Parts: sequence; structure tokens; C-alpha cells
Amino acid sequence: MSIQFNALQFGYTEKGKPVFSDFSADFEKDRITVLTGVSGCGKSSLLYLAAGIYPHHAGFLTGGCITVEGTRPESLSPKERCRLVGMMFQNPELQFCMDTVENELIFCLENICTPPEAVPDALNQALDFCAIRHLRNRTLLSLSGGERQKVMLACLTALRPKWLLLDEPFANIDNKSARAIAEKLKELHQTYGMGVLAVDHRLDNWLAVADEVRILEDGALLPEIITVDRLKQSPQRPSETTPETLPSTASPTSSEKAPASQSLLESHGIIVPGGSYGPKLPPPAPGEVVLELKDMSLSFGKTEILKNVTVSFRRGLIYAIVGESGCGKSSLFGVLSGLYQYRGSVLLHGKELRKTRKKQCGQMGFVTQNPQDQFVGRTVRQEILTSLKKHPDASRISEEILRSIRLWRYREVSPYLLSQGQQRRLGVAALMAYDCCLLICDEPTYAQDRRSTIAIMDALSRQARERRTALIFSTHDPQLAKDYADEQFRLEGGVLHACSQSGL
Amino acid sequence: MRAVNPVCKFIGLLTTTFVLAGCHDPVLNLSAFCLSIILILFSHVKIKSLLLMLSPVLLFAVGMFFTGFCFSAEGSMPVSEKTMIFASSAFWNGMTQASRVLAYAGIGYLFALTTDQIFLVRSFQKQLRLPQIFAYGLLAAWGILPHMMQEYKRTKAAFLARGIRTFPVSPALLGPLLVKSVRWSEELAIAMESKGFSGNETRTDFHPVRVQWYDWLFLGICLSLSLMAIVFL
Repeated sequence: MSIQFNALQFGYTEKGKPVFSDFSADFEKDRITVLTGVSGCGKSSLLYLAAGIYPHHAGFLTGGCITVEGTRPESLSPKERCRLVGMMFQNPELQFCMDTVENELIFCLENICTPPEAVPDALNQALDFCAIRHLRNRTLLSLSGGERQKVMLACLTALRPKWLLLDEPFANIDNKSARAIAEKLKELHQTYGMGVLAVDHRLDNWLAVADEVRILEDGALLPEIITVDRLKQSPQRPSETTPETLPSTASPTSSEKAPASQSLLESHGIIVPGGSYGPKLPPPAPGEVVLELKDMSLSFGKTEILKNVTVSFRRGLIYAIVGESGCGKSSLFGVLSGLYQYRGSVLLHGKELRKTRKKQCGQMGFVTQNPQDQFVGRTVRQEILTSLKKHPDASRISEEILRSIRLWRYREVSPYLLSQGQQRRLGVAALMAYDCCLLICDEPTYAQDRRSTIAIMDALSRQARERRTALIFSTHDPQLAKDYADEQFRLEGGVLHACSQSGL
Repeated sequence: MRAVNPVCKFIGLLTTTFVLAGCHDPVLNLSAFCLSIILILFSHVKIKSLLLMLSPVLLFAVGMFFTGFCFSAEGSMPVSEKTMIFASSAFWNGMTQASRVLAYAGIGYLFALTTDQIFLVRSFQKQLRLPQIFAYGLLAAWGILPHMMQEYKRTKAAFLARGIRTFPVSPALLGPLLVKSVRWSEELAIAMESKGFSGNETRTDFHPVRVQWYDWLFLGICLSLSLMAIVFL
């Protein structure tokens, strides 16, 4: 039994270029498969089609068919469909409709018409299976991302579908929860015989559980089947080694030693554990101190998020802040952008930030995780013009900038209508139009594949070097920090540790 | 009060407010206020949070008192100095205005503080035949609200970082928020559907919301008190 795609033709517009023009594939139930590929290759679309969400919600299925266990998922009602395929999504915040964990599970059980007397047993069983009995009466709002994904898993356990489809389920959660969930997925697969098909552009959390990895490229599945055993032989796995224990001298680029399967993955743009990004950067030229934090602390209610952070940043250098999700990276940037009230002092050019924020705007640029969070203009051109407000020759310069990032023909379009890659380019360009001396990027490569990760980081760091801007970026990928940063910091339990210094 | 069926509570309290709207009696208003507060206190609401919520209302009530006190039309009130020796008509008018604020606030808080939103929506669905797609849509939207607040702050910070001064709820701020909320609602709808929910299919009900004897009792008391107020005042 399997998920079969048969001569599938599917596109998001009726007449435009289709995502899949003649796609055929077969995923077997007895193996845990991870499907990977660059962003925009159509891997999520494939999953949504198998879950019967498309073409109901978006897109046009113009030919071919999908069958799950011999049934066409789009022909079923939601109630029948959820017994066939269960889906876990990328964003753990937008999956629930009730207030508490218990109510959410009851909601699921009611949907599939569980008789009331059988609800308590099914509820307890699902909670126990996912080991989250202690969360039973908690509100969903009070849970962390990892805990929410566990609740989602409990919902899926209760619904007991034949297939589990996972759309980058670990993108927003810490590695520890990701591993725990991956283990549970394997258990579900083994105990209940559920088929598991996951889509992910990062493979490190799947290594322990997946059976095989397949690559999707330009709407076609590559014939190579990569077994995970071969991937595990790769020389280093940075997710399990902390930067402190890594040798400070540059390790040999992994492509030299890597097995064939790894270079195959790399050549298709997939982030392989241990693979170097190989940046080519001009040498650093450290300048004066731009930003200085002295004993800065931040608390939400009684919990202390950041403890006595003392650090200074210089012009012309690139800094990386590494840490797991939830360690306080975003809170640290929130302080700098004025979202939160802090204690201690934050000095921008030697002046206290909370007093001079309004006067010094434009000095500090923010690149947010999601480029949509920083758009202020109605059109693409206005977005750039906003940055050039005081400039006498704004309209000519804005044209130059837009032509250089190949967005001139979209100048009258709303920035929200651009593709993800275009939005990212626009976001960075808009900030670069300021004469900023400090650029802060919160996970700029979040959910990006290898190719665009390199493109984004190269663009950012080249700009930083040329203009002698201080660049601070956060990431959960130690390799990225190692390859691009002049100085690395590790944020752990609200304390900032300096890691290693190279190039100074 | 928490156990009272939300629909019965809603109808009972709504009728009471309509009756109060037609009466100009500070004694009646104040007793409605006191009764509400007593009922709230019996429903395990924290006194501190109640006081915090009441403080703006009290301020407003004082304001209304002086409004009524200063701008009263002499002789137009139902009581005069002859019947109420201790109070002038202006004082009485002020009291009426102030007590009204208190009565409405008391009844409003009584409903808001003692009603669980899930219980409320389920009860509306069961007793008033609210379509289930609407009921669960409401609950899901309720869950999005905190995200909206966070997102609003984030957008504001983004504007400030780009050197644009904004005032609260300015259209420039609401634009991005609107785009995002449409996207969120779509994601949420997909998630709910993938858990087997759809608007027109039968579901079982684990804890059916029923109307018990004490719900009828509450409704009866509210309606008869209102009727008495209409008849005797």
C-alpha cells in the first residue's frame, strides 16, 4: 500500500507554468521517507495534494491523479479524509482552534464521531503516547513551539490516520523537541503501521528515524534513493557538537571527504549536516565600537529571559549569535528594536538607546525572519523611497537600486505579492539604502534551502564589508555561524558566551 | 454563576439591561449594581482584578454624577425637593446618571467574568442553533487575537525602525496586519479541516450543553425582577 502520484499535472494558475507537468511517484508505507529539495521546488505542494487540501484550497489539478491507499483524497469529506491522511504543519501557532490541550483533543475526537463514552480513554491514550499528560489542562497559548507540535502529534495519534504527512514540522522548534517528536513518529510507524512522508530541507533531525531520502527538483523526483545509513557516515554532525568543541582552525571542507550521497545532496541545494558553505569574503576591517550592551537584562513577568548581557560590536565585523529556539535570540533583538523594556544600558554610538531611539532611526537596520514583517510601503518603489526620504536625488537612486536587484518591473506592485526570494532581496535592499552603521538580522536564512542561504548570506556580508557596517545575525545552524562570522556568540539560558575568534 | 447556561444568562441579563434603560431610579440601579458585584464575588473572581477593572468605571461614574449634577433641568425630574428633603433635584439627577453607569458595568462584568468563552459558544450553538462552522470559527478567531496583538507591536517597531512615526490604529499599520490575518485564517482553516472538521457534517458531542433547572430559575428570577420593576416604578 502506498501514496501514488500518477502523471500528475498541477499548477497554481490555470494558464501559467505548472508546478508539475507529468509527475509520477510512489511512496511505500513500510518506509519513513523524507522528501527534500530547494525552496519552491514543489515539495510542499505535493504534500498538500496528497492530503487532499489542494486543489480544494488553491491551484488547479489539470490531469493525472493521486491515490492514497487506493483512494483519491480530494474526493473524500474532511471527516473521512482525516482517517486516511493526517497532516502536521510548519507553523505550530496556527493549528489549533480551542483553548486548552484537552479541549483540542476532544474537538478532534468529536469530529470523527467518537462516541462520548469512548472519549476519555482515547484522550488519555493519545496524551500518554506523546508523554504530555502534564500539559493536559494547560492553555495552548502558554505552550512553547515544541510543546505545541507535541500536542499536534497527540491530535494525530487520536485521529489515527493511515498516513502521516509532515510539512517541515521542525522548522520552528528546538532540536531536543524535534528529536523527541521524530522518535514518536517512528513509534507510530512501527506500532500502528502508519505511513510517514515528511518534507524538510534540513535533514539532521531525521537521521535517527528516516529510512530513505528522496530529492525533488523542478517538479520531478530524482531516481536516486539515498538511505540514511549512508548519510550518517558523513564525517561531522555539527548539531551534536557544540562550537566550543569544534577545532578553531578551519576544518577540511566536507565535500572532499564526504561520501557520494552527500555531494549529491549538496549539488541539489540541500543543507547537509556538516557541509561547509564555502563563503568568499574580503578580510575584515574592524572599526570603532557602534553598539555596546552593559549588564543588559530583560524579564517577562517573573521569568528572566536575558541576564546581564555585556558585549560590544564594532564596525566592519560580522557577528553571529547561535542558540536553540527559545534561548532568547529574538528577545535580544526585540530589545534593540524597541519592542521590550530592558534594564541596564544599551549604547548606540555611546548614547543610551531608550532615549535616542527616535533621533537615531535609520542607523540600525533590521532584517526580520519573515521579510513581510518589515515592509512599510504600499508599492515596491515606495519601500525603497521610504529609506531615501532625506535624499535629494531619491527617485533616480531608487530606480538604480530596483534595477540592480531586478525588481524594477515590479515597482508599482505591492511588496506582499512578490515571491519569497524577491521579498528577501527587496527587504535587504531597502535597509541598505539607509546609511546604516549596524545591521541586525534575525535568522535571515530561516527555512531557506542551501542555495538561497548562500545567496542571502553572501549579499549581506558583502554589503557589510563594503560599507563597513557591523552585521549581527542569529542562526541555529552552527556551520553558518562558523563560515560567515568573525566573532561567534552562544546564547544559552539567557547568558551570552563568546565562543571563538577568528580573523582578528 | 459559572455553571449557569450562558444563553439563559445572556437573555436574562439582556432583558434586565433593557428594563434598566427605561427606568430612572438610582436605588434600582444601585441595587442592580450591588447584586451583580455580590454574584461576581460568589463566582471566585479575584477581588484585586475586579477592583482594577472597576476603577475606570468608578471614575466614569463620578464624572457622570457631576455632569448630571451641573446640567440638570430643574423640575423635570420625577422627584422634587418637597418629597426628598435631603436631596436637591440636581443631586438626584447626578445620582441617576452615575448609578446607571455602575449598573451597566456591573451587569456587563457579571456576564464577562463568569462566562467561559467555549461554554458560551457551544451553548449558543446548541440552544440558539448557531451553525457549527460559525461557532468553531469564532473560537479559532479568539485564539488568533493574541498573535494579532504581538504582530501589531512588531509592525509598529518595524515602522519606527524605518523612521516612520505612527499613531495607534493608523491605516499604514493596519495594512500589513490585514494581509497577515487573511493568510492566518486560511492556514487555520486548512488545519481545522485536516483534523476532520467541516461545517455541515455531524459530530458527536462529548459534553452536551443542557439547560438545567437552575438555568430556568435564573432566567425566571431575572424576568420577574424586571417585570416588577416595570410594574411598580
